[in-house]
Amino acid sequence: MKKDEEFMPRILAFLCNWCSYAGADLAGTSRLKYPPSILPIRVMCSSRVDPLFIVKAYLGGIDGVLLAGCHPGDCHYEKGNYYTRRRFALIKKIFEELDMEADRLLLSWISASEGPKYAKVATEFTEKIKKLGENPAKNKIFL
Amino acid sequence: MNKPTGAVISAKSSTKKSIIDFLEKAMDKGVFDAVIVPMRVPAGDSFAYVLIKDKSLFKDAFPIPPVMFVQGAKAVSSVTRLGKGNMKIAALMRPCEIRATIELAKLGQTDLENMTLISMDCPGVLPTSDFLSDPEKGMKQFDEAAKNLDDKIMRPVCQICDKSSMMAGDLHIGTLGAKKDTFFVISNSQKGNDILDKLGISLKDNIDSWHAKVKNISEEKLKKRKKAHKDLKSEIGGLDNLLDAYNQCINCHNCMRVCPVCYCRLCYFDSDNVKHPSEDYLQMAESKGSIRFLPDTIFFQMGRMMHMSLSCVSCGACEDACPVSIPVAQIFSMISDETQGLFDYVSGRSLEEPLPLVAYKEEELHEMEDAND
Ligand code: SF4
Ligand code: SF4
Ligand code: SF4
Ligand code: FES
Repeated sequence: MKKDEEFMPRILAFLCNWCSYAGADLAGTSRLKYPPSILPIRVMCSSRVDPLFIVKAYLGGIDGVLLAGCHPGDCHYEKGNYYTRRRFALIKKIFEELDMEADRLLLSWISASEGPKYAKVATEFTEKIKKLGENPAKNKIFL
Repeated sequence: MNKPTGAVISAKSSTKKSIIDFLEKAMDKGVFDAVIVPMRVPAGDSFAYVLIKDKSLFKDAFPIPPVMFVQGAKAVSSVTRLGKGNMKIAALMRPCEIRATIELAKLGQTDLENMTLISMDCPGVLPTSDFLSDPEKGMKQFDEAAKNLDDKIMRPVCQICDKSSMMAGDLHIGTLGAKKDTFFVISNSQKGNDILDKLGISLKDNIDSWHAKVKNISEEKLKKRKKAHKDLKSEIGGLDNLLDAYNQCINCHNCMRVCPVCYCRLCYFDSDNVKHPSEDYLQMAESKGSIRFLPDTIFFQMGRMMHMSLSCVSCGACEDACPVSIPVAQIFSMISDETQGLFDYVSGRSLEEPLPLVAYKEEELHEMEDAND
Protein backbone atom coordinates (compact mmCIF):
# COMPACT_ATOMS: atom_id res chain seq x y z
CA MET A 1 0.00 0.00 0.00
CA LYS A 2 1.35 3.39 -0.94
CA LYS A 3 1.52 5.97 1.82
CA ASP A 4 -0.79 8.51 0.26
CA GLU A 5 -3.50 5.98 -0.56
CA GLU A 6 -6.20 5.83 2.03
CA PHE A 7 -6.19 2.53 3.90
CA MET A 8 -9.25 0.52 2.92
CA PRO A 9 -9.50 -2.44 5.25
CA ARG A 10 -10.44 -5.90 4.11
CA ILE A 11 -13.20 -7.29 6.27
CA LEU A 12 -14.48 -10.81 6.07
CA ALA A 13 -18.20 -11.07 6.79
CA PHE A 14 -19.80 -14.39 7.60
CA LEU A 15 -23.48 -13.78 6.87
CA CYS A 16 -26.19 -16.25 7.64
CA ASN A 17 -28.25 -17.17 4.62
CA TRP A 18 -31.66 -16.59 6.17
CA CYS A 19 -31.20 -13.18 7.74
CA SER A 20 -27.99 -11.25 7.43
CA TYR A 21 -27.17 -12.24 3.88
CA ALA A 22 -30.65 -11.19 2.84
CA GLY A 23 -30.18 -8.00 4.85
CA ALA A 24 -26.96 -7.27 3.00
CA ASP A 25 -28.71 -8.01 -0.28
CA LEU A 26 -31.45 -5.60 0.63
CA ALA A 27 -28.91 -2.92 1.46
CA GLY A 28 -27.49 -3.49 -2.03
CA THR A 29 -30.77 -3.45 -3.93
CA SER A 30 -31.91 -0.40 -1.97
CA ARG A 31 -28.71 1.30 -3.11
CA LEU A 32 -27.69 2.17 0.41
CA LYS A 33 -24.19 3.51 0.73
CA TYR A 34 -21.58 1.47 2.52
CA PRO A 35 -17.85 0.99 1.99
CA PRO A 36 -16.44 -1.64 -0.37
CA SER A 37 -14.39 -3.17 2.44
CA ILE A 38 -16.61 -6.17 3.08
CA LEU A 39 -15.95 -9.59 1.58
CA PRO A 40 -19.13 -11.55 2.27
CA ILE A 41 -19.26 -15.28 2.80
CA ARG A 42 -22.68 -16.84 2.92
CA VAL A 43 -23.16 -19.54 5.55
CA MET A 44 -26.33 -21.49 6.20
CA CYS A 45 -26.42 -20.38 9.84
CA SER A 46 -24.15 -18.21 11.95
CA SER A 47 -23.43 -21.33 13.99
CA ARG A 48 -21.75 -22.85 10.95
CA VAL A 49 -18.77 -20.64 11.57
CA ASP A 50 -16.04 -22.67 13.21
CA PRO A 51 -13.81 -20.58 15.52
CA LEU A 52 -10.90 -21.77 13.43
CA PHE A 53 -12.27 -19.89 10.39
CA ILE A 54 -11.86 -16.70 12.35
CA VAL A 55 -8.42 -17.50 13.72
CA LYS A 56 -7.24 -18.53 10.28
CA ALA A 57 -8.60 -15.37 8.72
CA TYR A 58 -6.93 -13.18 11.33
CA LEU A 59 -3.57 -14.93 11.07
CA GLY A 60 -3.87 -14.73 7.30
CA GLY A 61 -3.96 -10.97 7.64
CA ILE A 62 -7.62 -10.04 7.26
CA ASP A 63 -8.22 -6.68 8.96
CA GLY A 64 -11.56 -7.47 10.53
CA VAL A 65 -14.12 -10.24 10.83
CA LEU A 66 -17.86 -9.63 11.03
CA LEU A 67 -20.06 -12.49 12.09
CA ALA A 68 -23.74 -11.80 11.55
CA GLY A 69 -26.85 -13.86 12.01
CA CYS A 70 -30.52 -13.71 12.79
CA HIS A 71 -31.65 -12.01 15.98
CA PRO A 72 -31.76 -14.28 19.02
CA GLY A 73 -35.00 -16.24 18.89
CA ASP A 74 -35.21 -15.90 15.09
CA CYS A 75 -32.60 -18.39 13.98
CA HIS A 76 -33.89 -20.57 11.12
CA TYR A 77 -32.63 -23.56 13.09
CA GLU A 78 -34.12 -22.19 16.31
CA LYS A 79 -31.06 -22.01 18.51
CA GLY A 80 -28.02 -21.85 16.26
CA ASN A 81 -27.28 -18.25 17.07
CA TYR A 82 -27.33 -18.87 20.82
CA TYR A 83 -24.50 -21.31 20.28
CA THR A 84 -22.85 -18.79 17.98
CA ARG A 85 -22.89 -16.19 20.71
CA ARG A 86 -21.18 -18.54 23.16
CA ARG A 87 -18.59 -19.50 20.60
CA PHE A 88 -17.99 -15.90 19.65
CA ALA A 89 -17.53 -15.03 23.33
CA LEU A 90 -14.93 -17.77 23.56
CA ILE A 91 -13.06 -16.52 20.50
CA LYS A 92 -13.17 -12.94 21.63
CA LYS A 93 -11.96 -13.81 25.12
CA ILE A 94 -8.98 -15.69 23.77
CA PHE A 95 -8.04 -12.76 21.53
CA GLU A 96 -8.41 -10.44 24.52
CA GLU A 97 -6.30 -12.59 26.78
CA LEU A 98 -3.58 -12.74 24.17
CA ASP A 99 -3.85 -8.99 23.71
CA MET A 100 -4.54 -9.49 20.05
CA GLU A 101 -6.92 -6.68 19.16
CA ALA A 102 -10.22 -8.36 19.90
CA ASP A 103 -11.82 -5.21 18.47
CA ARG A 104 -11.20 -6.58 15.02
CA LEU A 105 -13.96 -9.10 15.65
CA LEU A 106 -17.62 -8.18 15.64
CA LEU A 107 -20.83 -10.10 16.25
CA SER A 108 -24.06 -8.54 15.04
CA TRP A 109 -27.67 -9.58 14.58
CA ILE A 110 -29.10 -8.39 11.27
CA SER A 111 -32.45 -9.54 9.98
CA ALA A 112 -33.53 -9.88 6.35
CA SER A 113 -35.45 -6.62 6.52
CA GLU A 114 -32.63 -4.64 8.14
CA GLY A 115 -30.84 -3.40 5.03
CA PRO A 116 -30.12 -0.04 6.67
CA LYS A 117 -28.72 -1.72 9.75
CA TYR A 118 -26.40 -3.78 7.58
CA ALA A 119 -25.15 -0.63 5.88
CA LYS A 120 -24.66 1.05 9.26
CA VAL A 121 -22.80 -1.86 10.81
CA ALA A 122 -20.61 -2.22 7.73
CA THR A 123 -19.81 1.49 7.73
CA GLU A 124 -19.11 1.81 11.42
CA PHE A 125 -17.06 -1.34 11.62
CA THR A 126 -15.01 -0.23 8.63
CA GLU A 127 -14.36 3.10 10.32
CA LYS A 128 -13.27 1.35 13.48
CA ILE A 129 -10.89 -0.90 11.61
CA LYS A 130 -9.50 2.05 9.71
CA LYS A 131 -8.54 3.58 13.02
CA LEU A 132 -6.89 0.34 14.14
CA GLY A 133 -4.96 0.23 10.89
CA GLU A 134 -3.64 -2.83 9.12
CA ASN A 135 -3.71 -6.19 10.81
CA PRO A 136 -0.15 -6.68 12.08
CA ALA A 137 -0.34 -10.39 11.26
CA LYS A 138 -0.29 -9.45 7.58
CA ASN A 139 3.44 -8.98 7.59
CA LYS A 140 4.44 -11.65 10.05
CA ILE A 141 6.45 -14.39 8.49
CA PHE A 142 7.00 -16.60 11.51
CA LEU A 143 3.39 -17.37 12.30
CA MET B 1 -24.80 -32.14 47.82
CA ASN B 2 -24.30 -30.55 51.19
CA LYS B 3 -20.87 -30.08 52.63
CA PRO B 4 -19.22 -33.49 52.16
CA THR B 5 -18.90 -35.68 55.19
CA GLY B 6 -16.12 -38.08 56.00
CA ALA B 7 -14.52 -40.64 58.19
CA VAL B 8 -11.20 -40.67 60.01
CA ILE B 9 -9.20 -43.79 59.26
CA SER B 10 -6.15 -44.61 61.30
CA ALA B 11 -3.11 -45.59 59.33
CA LYS B 12 -1.46 -48.78 60.47
CA SER B 13 2.03 -48.38 59.11
CA SER B 14 2.15 -45.67 56.48
CA THR B 15 -0.69 -43.73 54.90
CA LYS B 16 0.27 -45.19 51.56
CA LYS B 17 0.01 -48.73 52.91
CA SER B 18 -3.32 -48.02 54.56
CA ILE B 19 -4.79 -46.58 51.38
CA ILE B 20 -3.77 -49.72 49.57
CA ASP B 21 -5.30 -51.83 52.34
CA PHE B 22 -8.49 -49.88 51.87
CA LEU B 23 -8.58 -50.73 48.16
CA GLU B 24 -7.74 -54.33 48.85
CA LYS B 25 -10.53 -54.63 51.36
CA ALA B 26 -12.93 -53.14 48.85
CA MET B 27 -11.89 -55.77 46.35
CA ASP B 28 -12.35 -58.52 48.94
CA LYS B 29 -15.87 -57.36 49.57
CA GLY B 30 -16.58 -57.28 45.87
CA VAL B 31 -17.10 -53.52 45.82
CA PHE B 32 -14.53 -53.27 43.02
CA ASP B 33 -13.42 -55.97 40.61
CA ALA B 34 -10.27 -54.17 39.58
CA VAL B 35 -8.37 -51.03 40.42
CA ILE B 36 -6.42 -48.54 38.32
CA VAL B 37 -3.45 -47.26 40.31
CA PRO B 38 0.04 -45.95 39.63
CA MET B 39 2.84 -48.47 40.01
CA ARG B 40 6.58 -48.02 40.05
CA VAL B 41 8.25 -49.84 37.17
CA PRO B 42 10.73 -52.55 38.12
CA ALA B 43 13.78 -50.42 37.26
CA GLY B 44 12.44 -47.81 39.65
CA ASP B 45 12.98 -44.90 37.33
CA SER B 46 9.40 -44.36 36.21
CA PHE B 47 5.76 -44.87 37.14
CA ALA B 48 2.89 -46.22 35.10
CA TYR B 49 -0.82 -46.68 35.58
CA VAL B 50 -1.83 -50.32 35.82
CA LEU B 51 -5.19 -52.05 35.97
CA ILE B 52 -4.82 -54.47 38.88
CA LYS B 53 -6.94 -57.58 38.99
CA ASP B 54 -4.61 -59.75 41.05
CA LYS B 55 -4.59 -58.45 44.62
CA SER B 56 -1.12 -59.77 45.35
CA LEU B 57 0.21 -57.04 43.08
CA PHE B 58 -1.13 -54.34 45.33
CA LYS B 59 2.10 -54.32 47.26
CA ASP B 60 3.74 -52.50 44.35
CA ALA B 61 0.99 -49.92 43.96
CA PHE B 62 2.11 -46.35 44.52
CA PRO B 63 -0.62 -43.77 45.19
CA ILE B 64 0.42 -40.18 44.43
CA PRO B 65 3.75 -40.85 42.76
CA PRO B 66 6.28 -38.02 42.42
CA VAL B 67 5.75 -37.68 38.66
CA MET B 68 2.94 -37.88 36.14
CA PHE B 69 4.19 -39.79 33.15
CA VAL B 70 0.75 -40.42 31.68
CA GLN B 71 -2.20 -38.30 32.69
CA GLY B 72 -4.55 -40.68 34.51
CA ALA B 73 -7.60 -39.63 32.52
CA LYS B 74 -5.95 -41.19 29.50
CA ALA B 75 -5.62 -44.47 31.36
CA VAL B 76 -9.27 -44.46 32.43
CA SER B 77 -10.55 -43.53 29.01
CA SER B 78 -8.55 -46.24 27.30
CA VAL B 79 -10.20 -48.79 29.56
CA THR B 80 -13.73 -47.52 29.07
CA ARG B 81 -13.76 -45.73 25.74
CA LEU B 82 -15.65 -48.52 24.04
CA GLY B 83 -18.27 -48.75 26.76
CA LYS B 84 -18.47 -49.44 30.42
CA GLY B 85 -18.03 -53.22 30.45
CA ASN B 86 -19.42 -55.15 33.36
CA MET B 87 -16.54 -54.93 35.78
CA LYS B 88 -16.58 -52.42 38.57
CA ILE B 89 -13.34 -50.50 38.45
CA ALA B 90 -11.92 -47.94 40.85
CA ALA B 91 -9.30 -45.42 39.78
CA LEU B 92 -7.07 -43.68 42.31
CA MET B 93 -5.69 -40.50 40.85
CA ARG B 94 -4.80 -36.85 41.42
CA PRO B 95 -7.62 -34.30 41.36
CA CYS B 96 -6.63 -32.89 37.96
CA GLU B 97 -6.66 -36.40 36.53
CA ILE B 98 -10.13 -37.04 37.93
CA ARG B 99 -11.32 -33.71 36.54
CA ALA B 100 -9.97 -34.52 33.10
CA THR B 101 -11.74 -37.88 33.31
CA ILE B 102 -15.00 -36.10 34.01
CA GLU B 103 -14.45 -33.82 31.04
CA LEU B 104 -13.84 -36.87 28.87
CA ALA B 105 -17.04 -38.44 30.13
CA LYS B 106 -18.94 -35.33 29.06
CA LEU B 107 -17.18 -35.47 25.72
CA GLY B 108 -18.39 -39.03 25.28
CA GLN B 109 -14.92 -40.52 25.56
CA THR B 110 -15.42 -42.63 28.63
CA ASP B 111 -18.30 -44.25 30.44
CA LEU B 112 -18.18 -43.81 34.19
CA GLU B 113 -21.18 -45.86 35.18
CA ASN B 114 -19.17 -48.76 36.54
CA MET B 115 -16.22 -46.63 37.48
CA THR B 116 -15.46 -45.19 40.90
CA LEU B 117 -13.18 -42.18 40.88
CA ILE B 118 -11.07 -41.69 43.99
CA SER B 119 -9.01 -38.53 44.33
CA MET B 120 -6.35 -37.61 46.86
CA ASP B 121 -4.92 -34.40 48.22
CA CYS B 122 -2.15 -33.59 45.79
CA PRO B 123 1.16 -31.99 46.72
CA GLY B 124 2.04 -31.44 43.03
CA VAL B 125 4.31 -33.41 40.74
CA LEU B 126 7.92 -32.98 39.79
CA PRO B 127 8.69 -31.96 36.23
CA THR B 128 9.49 -35.20 34.44
CA SER B 129 12.93 -34.10 33.30
CA ASP B 130 13.93 -33.14 36.84
CA PHE B 131 12.88 -36.54 38.09
CA LEU B 132 14.60 -38.40 35.28
CA SER B 133 17.91 -36.70 35.86
CA ASP B 134 18.15 -38.57 39.17
CA PRO B 135 15.11 -40.69 40.11
CA GLU B 136 16.36 -41.68 43.58
CA LYS B 137 17.06 -38.11 44.51
CA GLY B 138 13.73 -37.14 43.00
CA MET B 139 11.89 -39.61 45.20
CA LYS B 140 13.51 -38.22 48.32
CA GLN B 141 13.04 -34.60 47.34
CA PHE B 142 9.40 -35.22 46.52
CA ASP B 143 8.69 -36.92 49.85
CA GLU B 144 10.37 -34.15 51.73
CA ALA B 145 8.58 -31.41 49.79
CA ALA B 146 5.20 -33.15 50.08
CA LYS B 147 5.63 -33.48 53.82
CA ASN B 148 6.43 -29.79 54.18
CA LEU B 149 3.77 -28.65 51.70
CA ASP B 150 6.57 -27.04 49.78
CA ASP B 151 5.73 -26.66 46.10
CA LYS B 152 8.86 -24.94 44.83
CA ILE B 153 10.25 -28.00 43.07
CA MET B 154 6.93 -28.99 41.52
CA ARG B 155 5.65 -28.25 38.01
CA PRO B 156 5.05 -24.51 37.56
CA VAL B 157 1.30 -25.11 37.16
CA CYS B 158 1.29 -27.18 40.36
CA GLN B 159 2.72 -24.20 42.18
CA ILE B 160 -0.34 -22.20 41.23
CA CYS B 161 -2.92 -24.96 41.51
CA ASP B 162 -5.84 -23.91 43.70
CA LYS B 163 -7.70 -27.17 43.07
CA SER B 164 -5.20 -29.64 44.50
CA SER B 165 -7.81 -31.04 46.90
CA MET B 166 -10.83 -30.57 44.72
CA MET B 167 -13.37 -33.32 45.04
CA ALA B 168 -14.90 -34.15 41.72
CA GLY B 169 -15.05 -37.94 41.82
CA ASP B 170 -16.89 -40.25 44.17
CA LEU B 171 -14.45 -40.54 47.04
CA HIS B 172 -11.60 -38.42 48.24
CA ILE B 173 -8.68 -39.29 50.47
CA GLY B 174 -7.63 -36.32 52.53
CA THR B 175 -4.29 -36.09 54.24
CA LEU B 176 -4.31 -32.36 54.96
CA GLY B 177 -5.32 -31.38 58.45
CA ALA B 178 -5.28 -35.00 59.61
CA LYS B 179 -3.72 -35.99 62.92
CA LYS B 180 -0.55 -38.04 62.81
CA ASP B 181 -1.11 -41.57 61.50
CA THR B 182 -4.61 -40.88 60.28
CA PHE B 183 -6.25 -39.77 57.07
CA PHE B 184 -9.74 -38.86 55.97
CA VAL B 185 -12.03 -40.69 53.62
CA ILE B 186 -14.61 -38.32 52.23
CA SER B 187 -17.60 -39.10 50.09
CA ASN B 188 -18.67 -36.86 47.26
CA SER B 189 -21.49 -38.81 45.62
CA GLN B 190 -24.21 -41.33 46.24
CA LYS B 191 -21.94 -43.94 44.70
CA GLY B 192 -19.29 -42.98 47.25
CA ASN B 193 -21.76 -43.25 50.10
CA ASP B 194 -22.88 -46.69 48.99
CA ILE B 195 -19.32 -47.95 48.75
CA LEU B 196 -18.39 -46.76 52.22
CA ASP B 197 -21.57 -48.25 53.51
CA LYS B 198 -20.65 -51.65 52.11
CA LEU B 199 -17.24 -51.33 53.71
CA GLY B 200 -18.79 -50.55 57.05
CA ILE B 201 -17.29 -47.06 57.15
CA SER B 202 -19.70 -44.51 58.53
CA LEU B 203 -19.37 -40.87 57.62
CA LYS B 204 -19.83 -39.41 61.03
CA ASP B 205 -16.42 -38.08 61.91
CA ASN B 206 -15.54 -34.46 62.14
CA ILE B 207 -13.44 -33.40 59.15
CA ASP B 208 -13.49 -29.67 59.75
CA SER B 209 -9.72 -29.60 60.08
CA TRP B 210 -9.46 -30.90 56.51
CA HIS B 211 -11.95 -28.34 55.17
CA ALA B 212 -10.12 -25.56 56.98
CA LYS B 213 -6.67 -26.52 55.74
CA VAL B 214 -7.88 -27.00 52.18
CA LYS B 215 -9.59 -23.63 52.19
CA ASN B 216 -6.49 -22.00 53.49
CA ILE B 217 -4.19 -23.57 50.89
CA SER B 218 -6.49 -22.96 47.95
CA GLU B 219 -7.00 -19.35 48.81
CA GLU B 220 -3.30 -18.79 49.00
CA LYS B 221 -2.70 -20.63 45.75
CA LEU B 222 -5.44 -18.71 44.02
CA LYS B 223 -3.70 -15.46 44.89
CA LYS B 224 -0.46 -16.80 43.48
CA ARG B 225 -2.30 -18.04 40.42
CA LYS B 226 -3.85 -14.68 39.63
CA LYS B 227 -0.53 -12.94 40.00
CA ALA B 228 1.27 -15.50 37.84
CA HIS B 229 -1.36 -15.19 35.12
CA LYS B 230 -1.15 -11.43 35.20
CA ASP B 231 2.62 -11.53 34.84
CA LEU B 232 2.40 -14.07 32.06
CA LYS B 233 -0.17 -12.00 30.22
CA SER B 234 2.10 -8.99 30.17
CA GLU B 235 4.96 -11.16 28.99
CA ILE B 236 3.25 -12.92 26.09
CA GLY B 237 0.46 -10.45 25.27
CA GLY B 238 0.42 -9.00 21.78
CA LEU B 239 1.20 -10.77 18.54
CA ASP B 240 4.92 -10.03 18.66
CA ASN B 241 5.36 -11.34 22.16
CA LEU B 242 3.24 -14.36 21.40
CA LEU B 243 5.43 -15.13 18.43
CA ASP B 244 8.48 -14.80 20.65
CA ALA B 245 6.99 -17.20 23.16
CA TYR B 246 6.50 -19.85 20.47
CA ASN B 247 9.61 -19.06 18.46
CA GLN B 248 11.29 -22.30 19.32
CA CYS B 249 8.28 -24.51 18.77
CA ILE B 250 9.28 -27.47 16.61
CA ASN B 251 5.70 -28.31 15.67
CA CYS B 252 5.89 -31.76 17.17
CA HIS B 253 2.35 -31.51 18.59
CA ASN B 254 3.46 -33.39 21.71
CA CYS B 255 1.53 -30.89 23.78
CA MET B 256 -1.67 -32.03 22.07
CA ARG B 257 -0.85 -35.72 22.13
CA VAL B 258 -0.28 -35.92 25.88
CA CYS B 259 -3.17 -33.62 26.77
CA PRO B 260 -5.89 -35.67 28.45
CA VAL B 261 -8.73 -33.62 27.03
CA CYS B 262 -7.48 -33.41 23.44
CA TYR B 263 -9.19 -36.65 22.61
CA CYS B 264 -9.60 -36.49 18.83
CA ARG B 265 -8.54 -39.65 17.02
CA LEU B 266 -7.14 -37.41 14.34
CA CYS B 267 -6.32 -33.89 15.44
CA TYR B 268 -7.54 -31.26 13.02
CA PHE B 269 -4.02 -29.87 12.96
CA ASP B 270 -2.60 -33.18 11.77
CA SER B 271 -5.30 -33.66 9.18
CA ASP B 272 -5.39 -32.86 5.48
CA ASN B 273 -7.39 -29.75 6.30
CA VAL B 274 -4.18 -27.95 7.11
CA LYS B 275 -2.26 -29.24 4.12
CA HIS B 276 -2.38 -27.09 1.05
CA PRO B 277 -1.24 -27.36 -2.54
CA SER B 278 2.07 -25.68 -3.21
CA GLU B 279 0.38 -22.91 -5.23
CA ASP B 280 -1.36 -21.82 -2.02
CA TYR B 281 1.92 -21.62 -0.15
CA LEU B 282 3.47 -19.73 -3.00
CA GLN B 283 0.61 -17.29 -2.93
CA MET B 284 0.96 -16.79 0.81
CA ALA B 285 4.69 -16.32 0.39
CA GLU B 286 4.01 -13.81 -2.31
CA SER B 287 1.66 -11.74 -0.19
CA LYS B 288 3.89 -11.80 2.91
CA GLY B 289 7.24 -11.98 1.21
CA SER B 290 7.94 -15.33 2.80
CA ILE B 291 6.29 -17.85 5.11
CA ARG B 292 7.61 -20.16 7.75
CA PHE B 293 7.84 -23.94 7.47
CA LEU B 294 6.51 -25.95 9.14
CA PRO B 295 3.55 -23.60 8.94
CA ASP B 296 0.70 -22.89 11.33
CA THR B 297 2.56 -22.73 14.64
CA ILE B 298 0.30 -20.06 16.12
CA PHE B 299 -2.77 -21.38 14.32
CA PHE B 300 -2.26 -24.69 16.09
CA GLN B 301 -1.82 -23.09 19.49
CA MET B 302 -4.77 -20.74 19.15
CA GLY B 303 -6.85 -23.50 17.63
CA ARG B 304 -6.15 -25.75 20.57
CA MET B 305 -7.15 -22.92 22.88
CA MET B 306 -10.43 -22.62 20.99
CA HIS B 307 -11.00 -26.37 21.03
CA MET B 308 -10.13 -27.32 24.55
CA SER B 309 -9.36 -24.45 26.90
CA LEU B 310 -12.89 -24.91 28.25
CA SER B 311 -11.91 -28.40 29.35
CA CYS B 312 -8.27 -27.78 30.28
CA VAL B 313 -7.55 -28.82 33.86
CA SER B 314 -4.15 -27.10 34.15
CA CYS B 315 -2.42 -30.40 34.78
CA GLY B 316 0.86 -29.46 33.13
CA ALA B 317 1.24 -32.59 31.03
CA CYS B 318 1.66 -30.54 27.85
CA GLU B 319 4.44 -28.42 29.27
CA ASP B 320 6.31 -31.45 30.56
CA ALA B 321 6.15 -33.01 27.12
CA CYS B 322 7.38 -29.96 25.26
CA PRO B 323 10.92 -30.67 24.09
CA VAL B 324 11.82 -27.00 23.88
CA SER B 325 10.41 -25.91 27.25
CA ILE B 326 7.69 -23.58 26.06
CA PRO B 327 5.47 -22.80 29.08
CA VAL B 328 2.45 -24.23 27.27
CA ALA B 329 0.57 -25.30 30.39
CA GLN B 330 1.05 -21.96 32.07
CA ILE B 331 -0.31 -20.26 28.98
CA PHE B 332 -3.23 -22.68 28.82
CA SER B 333 -4.01 -22.29 32.49
CA MET B 334 -4.13 -18.53 32.01
CA ILE B 335 -6.39 -18.78 28.97
CA SER B 336 -8.64 -21.47 30.38
CA ASP B 337 -9.33 -19.68 33.64
CA GLU B 338 -10.65 -16.81 31.55
CA THR B 339 -12.63 -18.79 29.02
CA GLN B 340 -14.18 -21.02 31.67
CA GLY B 341 -14.94 -17.94 33.74
CA LEU B 342 -17.04 -16.57 30.87
CA PHE B 343 -19.55 -19.33 31.46
CA ASP B 344 -19.02 -19.73 35.18
CA TYR B 345 -17.66 -23.14 34.34
CA VAL B 346 -14.91 -25.11 36.04
CA SER B 347 -13.60 -28.05 34.04
CA GLY B 348 -14.25 -31.35 35.74
CA ARG B 349 -16.06 -29.82 38.69
CA SER B 350 -19.13 -31.91 38.11
CA LEU B 351 -20.51 -34.42 35.70
CA GLU B 352 -23.87 -32.67 35.68
CA GLU B 353 -22.63 -29.26 34.52
CA PRO B 354 -22.96 -29.27 30.71
CA LEU B 355 -19.98 -28.35 28.56
CA PRO B 356 -20.33 -24.62 27.87
CA LEU B 357 -20.51 -24.93 24.10
CA VAL B 358 -23.45 -27.30 24.11
CA ALA B 359 -25.53 -25.12 26.39
CA TYR B 360 -26.81 -21.55 26.29
CA LYS B 361 -29.07 -19.09 28.01
CA GLU B 362 -31.38 -16.84 26.06
CA GLU B 363 -30.28 -13.82 28.03
CA GLU B 364 -26.53 -13.73 28.37
CA LEU B 365 -23.32 -12.33 26.94
CA HIS B 366 -24.94 -9.22 25.53
CA GLU B 367 -21.64 -7.45 26.02
CA MET B 368 -20.31 -9.61 23.19
CA GLU B 369 -22.87 -8.27 20.73
CA ASP B 370 -22.58 -5.21 18.56
CA ALA B 371 -23.67 -2.06 20.37
CA ASN B 372 -26.15 -1.42 17.55
CA ASP B 373 -28.24 -4.37 18.66
S1 SF4 C 1 -3.68 -28.17 27.86
FE1 SF4 C 1 -1.97 -28.89 29.12
S2 SF4 C 1 -2.51 -28.29 31.18
FE2 SF4 C 1 -4.42 -28.20 29.99
S3 SF4 C 1 -5.35 -30.23 30.25
FE3 SF4 C 1 -4.09 -30.31 28.39
S4 SF4 C 1 -2.12 -31.13 29.08
FE4 SF4 C 1 -3.23 -30.43 30.92
S1 SF4 D 1 -6.38 -29.45 19.02
FE1 SF4 D 1 -8.53 -29.69 18.56
S2 SF4 D 1 -8.56 -31.11 16.85
FE2 SF4 D 1 -6.58 -31.30 17.80
S3 SF4 D 1 -6.79 -32.99 19.26
FE3 SF4 D 1 -7.16 -31.08 20.36
S4 SF4 D 1 -9.36 -30.83 20.30
FE4 SF4 D 1 -8.85 -32.30 18.73
S1 SF4 E 1 5.19 -29.62 22.49
FE1 SF4 E 1 6.24 -27.66 22.41
S2 SF4 E 1 7.46 -27.77 20.52
FE2 SF4 E 1 5.92 -29.40 20.39
S3 SF4 E 1 4.20 -28.42 19.30
FE3 SF4 E 1 3.79 -28.17 21.49
S4 SF4 E 1 4.65 -26.14 21.97
FE4 SF4 E 1 5.53 -26.77 20.01
S1 FES F 1 -30.10 -19.27 10.53
FE1 FES F 1 -29.51 -17.21 10.90
S2 FES F 1 -28.38 -17.45 12.71
FE2 FES F 1 -29.09 -19.47 12.47
